[in-house]
Amino acid sequence: MKNLFFILLFLMLLTTGCVPKSIIDDINIEAASAFDELEDDTFVGTVLIQEYLPDQSTENKTFTATAKLRRDLLLNIQRQSSEPLHLGGLMVTIFGDKLADRGIMDFVDNYQRDPSIGARNYLATSSGSALQILKGEYGPRGNSAYLNNLIEHNMKYRDLPETNLHIFIRDFYTQGKDPYLPELHQINNEKVEISGLSLFKKDREVHVLSTDKMFFFKLLADRHSNGSFKVDLGSGREAEIKSISSKHKIKISKKNPSQVVIHIKIKGVIPEYTGEQITPKIVKEVEKALEKKVNKECLGLVKQFQEQEIDPVGFGFFHRKQIRGYNFKRWEDDYKRLTFKIKTDVNIVETGVLE
Amino acid sequence: MPNLPIEDRFKISPFLVFYLITSMQIGIGALGYQRLIAQYAHEDAWISVLIAGILIHVIVWMMYKILETVDGDLVTAHIYIAGNFIGKFLSSIFVFYFFTYALTILRSYLEVIQVWMFPTMSIFWFTLAYLLLSIYIIYGGFRTVVGIAFFGIVLPAYLFLVFGFNLKFANFEHLMPILDNSFKDILLGSYHMSLTFVGFEIVLFFYPFIKNPEKSKKWAHLAILTTTLLYTGLMMLTLSFFSEEQLRKSIWATLTMWKIVQMPFVERFEYIGIATWSLVILPNFCISLWVASRLLKRIFNVQQKKGVILISIISLIVINFIKTREQVGLINDYTGKVGFIFTFFYIPILLAAVLIVKKVKKK
Repeated sequence: MKNLFFILLFLMLLTTGCVPKSIIDDINIEAASAFDELEDDTFVGTVLIQEYLPDQSTENKTFTATAKLRRDLLLNIQRQSSEPLHLGGLMVTIFGDKLADRGIMDFVDNYQRDPSIGARNYLATSSGSALQILKGEYGPRGNSAYLNNLIEHNMKYRDLPETNLHIFIRDFYTQGKDPYLPELHQINNEKVEISGLSLFKKDREVHVLSTDKMFFFKLLADRHSNGSFKVDLGSGREAEIKSISSKHKIKISKKNPSQVVIHIKIKGVIPEYTGEQITPKIVKEVEKALEKKVNKECLGLVKQFQEQEIDPVGFGFFHRKQIRGYNFKRWEDDYKRLTFKIKTDVNIVETGVLE
Repeated sequence: MPNLPIEDRFKISPFLVFYLITSMQIGIGALGYQRLIAQYAHEDAWISVLIAGILIHVIVWMMYKILETVDGDLVTAHIYIAGNFIGKFLSSIFVFYFFTYALTILRSYLEVIQVWMFPTMSIFWFTLAYLLLSIYIIYGGFRTVVGIAFFGIVLPAYLFLVFGFNLKFANFEHLMPILDNSFKDILLGSYHMSLTFVGFEIVLFFYPFIKNPEKSKKWAHLAILTTTLLYTGLMMLTLSFFSEEQLRKSIWATLTMWKIVQMPFVERFEYIGIATWSLVILPNFCISLWVASRLLKRIFNVQQKKGVILISIISLIVINFIKTREQVGLINDYTGKVGFIFTFFYIPILLAAVLIVKKVKKK
């Protein structure tokens, strides 16, 4: 009996080869992809593949194909690839202008269905050709790593509010909130910049927020952890505030549900000041100036969203969550009547190493 | 068959009941129970889970009451109230119940592997390997099975640290407003929690194997408390991590949550999670097989070693007939319903019957 058991165990080991193998050298791992739509309603897609060379540098390879149907796209690309294409290593996906205007959910839905694609993938839109962005040469670490890092550090430390595949899908499905994505722009064949923030209505791009508004948008929609901002105090004096961290709280006033109060708390440090000396009086002045600026700009933003009938901050969501038994069907009308009040509280905690 | 007392060397310490129950309760359901409950109770789904957990405490108390009264297992209780023949007939239904339970677990797990990792993996070969392992464990006796239950909880426990990644993306505003759904919807959610929560009824079968069964009571309740808090916590995290409609689309919400995990040394954490999960469901599978074969021994006097082989062969054949996602869903649904009826209806009725018979016998 014991012998029989071991024989069976041995036989089991032989059956381990039942699943097809994927050897890393014999497959092509998709590192980034870009999609757009052509004039005649056909889709066009580019897939970026990175080959790791023996001298530790990477070679960028792209495949481009067109197709009438979305699902044929990958098939057509597969036909050009010398080795089977795997989606597991995908880091960045860029959607072209025309496609973003038409709606990108079909593509994103595909991603959420595929178990091999991670939820931390970055999605982005492009101003100009999406496909061309992947075809550049952005240094020895490879294009996908470049694009990935570009978006990542801007989200972590700069003005870009955090988004990724998961956040996009979550916001898309949240009643009373619209998603947003960063917009990329290719400067030349070696550089790409973040040129703004695409704001969506459901899955269609309706507006691109310019980069100078992004700081204020992040105050409303996300939190700053290490931002910086320059405050103009007039008469040629400027102060730079660094290490900005921010928090916001959105409250719907109990008495008057059509008024939303947004509390923004900002903490920062002044390492640079163009005037002579930083005195507590000037610190106060800087705080006041920033508060005023934030109030004005943020109010402008939310009023603009209201006019455009988009809701990237999620006021509808807060209505649903903070008012018991809120009938969401009323939201569209309620949103038009909504008034906003912004209260900003700036706190400068340090003024650098010099007195 | 006379009610033979179990020898002391085959018995287990009372605290091990904790591991037996938790390992049996945490199984395949934990990978995707959230969606089913949120369908009914929406943002109050975590309250549903909590209510279900509280009710189970009552059921566990009832089970111990039954077992203390008859001083044996479920078969003894059946014989006690209905006589030898009918008692054994009633008990034989449970052979089928535990057989289906084991089958459901394994087939659902196989589906996860096929969808998430290896779409072409053969059901037959994997089942064979798993069955051989389980037979080997059961041949080691009840104490070995308990050992596996212990490891089935302790070794995969690290997985819970991983949920820290989800906390970063969680927005607890999603849980508001609390108690906005009707009480009926919340209870419906509790009802759908049953497949995930069943498993604790095994106490009815291994009770004679516990040393000082009186002392094991508190461990049983502690086990239920642990799983209840665990499932409630996970439910709250899931609700705040997803938006509602997104959750409704995620069949395996727990696995989808792992997709956000990013570590320098591992790109896709789900693969590690799924592989570890085979260790989580191993005690589930082994204990159900053990109970089924133990029942065969108690009822039909079949040697347990032969019983295990018999059940294994039948499983190996039957599992090939469950092919599509719908069929897997259906068998899950039925097992959940039967489990619900067994625990929430049958056990209270049984307790009443046992108490009545006791009174009559005294007279």
